[in-house]
Amino acid sequence: MKVTLAMKPAGKWFIPIEAESIVPKNFLAGTDLSVWRGNRELRLDDVFSVSVEGDADRAEDVEVVLSGETFRLKRVGEYMDGGRITIFGGIGMHCGNFMSGGTIEVHGNADGWLGREMAGGAIICRGDAADYCASGYRGGRKGMTGGTVEVFGRVGDFLAENLAGGTVTVHGDAGDMPGAEMRGGTLVVHGDCSRPGANMKGGSCYVYGTAQAMLPTFRKIGTVRHEGRTLIRFAGDIANRGKGNLFVKGYEYLD
Amino acid sequence: MTELLVKNACVIDPLRGINAEMMDIAIRDGKIVEEVSDAAEVIDARGMLTMPGGVDSHTHICGTKVNFGRYMSPEDMRAGRTPRRGPLHATSGYSVPTTYGNSYRYSVMGYTTLLEGAMAPLEARHTHEEFIYTPLQDTMANTLFDGNWAIMEAIRDGDIKRVAAIIAWTLRAVKGFAVKLTNPGGTEAWQWGKNVSCIRDPVPYFEVTPAEIIRSIVEANELLGLPHSVHLHANNLGTPGNYTCTLGSLGLIPDLNEKRQTLYATHVQFHAYGGSGWKDFCSKSEPIARFVSMRPQIVMDMGQVMFGRTTTMTADGPMEFNLYRLHHEKWSNHDVELETGSGIIPVIYRRKNLVNSIMWAIGLELALLTKSPWQCLLTTDNPNGAPFVKYPEIVALLMSKKYRDAEFATIHPDTEARVPLPAIEREMDWYEIAVMTRAGQAKALGLQDLGKGHLAPGADADVAIYPLHIDEVDPSAEYQKVIDAFSRTEYTIKRGRVVARRGECLVDGSNATFWVRPKVSENYDMGKDPDFIEKFDRYYTVRMRNYPVQEEYLNRNRCIETEARI
Repeated sequence: MKVTLAMKPAGKWFIPIEAESIVPKNFLAGTDLSVWRGNRELRLDDVFSVSVEGDADRAEDVEVVLSGETFRLKRVGEYMDGGRITIFGGIGMHCGNFMSGGTIEVHGNADGWLGREMAGGAIICRGDAADYCASGYRGGRKGMTGGTVEVFGRVGDFLAENLAGGTVTVHGDAGDMPGAEMRGGTLVVHGDCSRPGANMKGGSCYVYGTAQAMLPTFRKIGTVRHEGRTLIRFAGDIANRGKGNLFVKGYEYLD
Repeated sequence: MTELLVKNACVIDPLRGINAEMMDIAIRDGKIVEEVSDAAEVIDARGMLTMPGGVDSHTHICGTKVNFGRYMSPEDMRAGRTPRRGPLHATSGYSVPTTYGNSYRYSVMGYTTLLEGAMAPLEARHTHEEFIYTPLQDTMANTLFDGNWAIMEAIRDGDIKRVAAIIAWTLRAVKGFAVKLTNPGGTEAWQWGKNVSCIRDPVPYFEVTPAEIIRSIVEANELLGLPHSVHLHANNLGTPGNYTCTLGSLGLIPDLNEKRQTLYATHVQFHAYGGSGWKDFCSKSEPIARFVSMRPQIVMDMGQVMFGRTTTMTADGPMEFNLYRLHHEKWSNHDVELETGSGIIPVIYRRKNLVNSIMWAIGLELALLTKSPWQCLLTTDNPNGAPFVKYPEIVALLMSKKYRDAEFATIHPDTEARVPLPAIEREMDWYEIAVMTRAGQAKALGLQDLGKGHLAPGADADVAIYPLHIDEVDPSAEYQKVIDAFSRTEYTIKRGRVVARRGECLVDGSNATFWVRPKVSENYDMGKDPDFIEKFDRYYTVRMRNYPVQEEYLNRNRCIETEARI
């Protein structure tokens, strides 16, 4: 089953639309769903041109395709457990929150909190992602616990904060404090970043570029070979028991 | 004139010795009366269990410390969200909910009076402001005197009357209700980066010991004739082997008051640990319960731990630092100038953790091994042991050996060798539960003459009607029914008005705050004492004239004047 949702032009409205109902399994029962714009409840077809091809019995067989001004949509794919969402355009905040299965592919940029606290499944972002990509929630103990997030562009600050499981891969640069408070899982940054792994207590963080403003609370152990690269291995954060592994290609301390 | 008649109520009212009698309760203008006119509104209780409104004699619900718990745990606010509805405000939070969340959830459980366990005098305004927004319960605040510089100096000089005078001035200034000692001396030592190991360690600079502080303040409390006794959180909370220190502290207390106890020892579960370290950690509830049973001058509360997530918060700063070193999670530490300190960390109590399992057992043992329910009251030191919404489960655990055994089977298997709980057969009855949740608490707080904790004519019309017929339910087998009934009253009546019905709050109330004003002679008015004023102005960051909390900060103002003997 393929559900195509083409957003109608909003005119002067730039209020975000809370679209947590856009999850593949919800379309098994039809397209009579609602979304919220501010405090107004809107029907799905008030906002989108909806078309459905074929039918399905289970969420895994549902593909949702979004297009138009999709950057105004928040919370798409929240609690998703199977199926596929493809977004032709940017996507707003909190896409793929808590998802446990299925795939979300964004052919554009993602706003903050992409894949927050996800437990399984996969998110692929072909553009850039903003702050708190694959992170936890404010104050929470555990962030992402499973699944994969792959971003082909750059990401903002606090990438994979509180990461507890799963794999996060970024092909561009990351901002400040990727892998802060990490306690498990794997984080790979192909580009540069600053202050990786702050206060980490588990898991592995790889930086294939240069770690700027490297934290002094990591103990250098030596060099290792990893997937064809020579990386420098650190243990830390020794301010917090020091059981995490940080691998960097190059690093610079602050003067 | 508003009148209400509750008919066919099965009343348990321990302060009047009433045990399960069918009677009618007449209410006029917020007070219990002998009879009402035919025009009164009628509620038919249909034989359901009816008790005075619940009283929580030790809970942390309002003030800077609680609010900082909210501030540092945004994740806690994800739980317990309810939207705004009718007269009700939106609520959120689980272990440290919003003030309305606290108030509504307590009300649904039938609680109508709450005592905030620790208010730092300097930060009293915050507590009173939050009291205003706790609309469905009458409130009062314990005021912290554990590290008060002026008091420690007076104790060093051996001047008990001056100690009493400073307490009198401070309680009046901050609109406090009772005297609280949290780790006496330890909170001041913590400002020097130290702690006191037990009651014989001197406090740095002041050179007084916790034992001297406890004894002097207990005597001063009785000189002032305060309604409540000294409220003690003993030294050494949460360390293995601390029960000897607890027994030492309790042994200091003479019997000075005929009407009530001379010392209220709070959350004793945290003070009843044996062993020399975490490896041989075990329960020492038996010696504590035996000791307390022999001394009518002491009342304690359980401080029961229940499994799940919660937030620990106390004025005991050094203890929270030790806890932080165990958990390595977020931690807050706070210093209150010349008075006290505080600390907060969120914790999760786990069944699979041996220490947590033993803690869970100790609280229950204290309640079950203390002969008189008047001497061991039901609390969790909310939210330190568990959020207060767990009270119904604790009631059921105390009433049912079967439920205790079922729970015991799910905790750490090594617990059995470390605690006496499996051997305890006692099952409490409805009357004892009524004592432990309202009558005993009102008596211990000295509130019975102020119309709390009983249903005699003249008392405040605070009534809780639980959807349960005690002759039809066997609490030792049908414990789930007990939990359900105590979680959700059929009616909660506050000051003669139905405020909650079947789990729904109905009104936005208006509470009263109780505070004390001891009358002391001119010579002992600290507001005119040159030495006190000089030191106040030299060391505090606030001016003395700005320190007192104005009466505008109180909602309904219930000032209790006492005749002091100084």
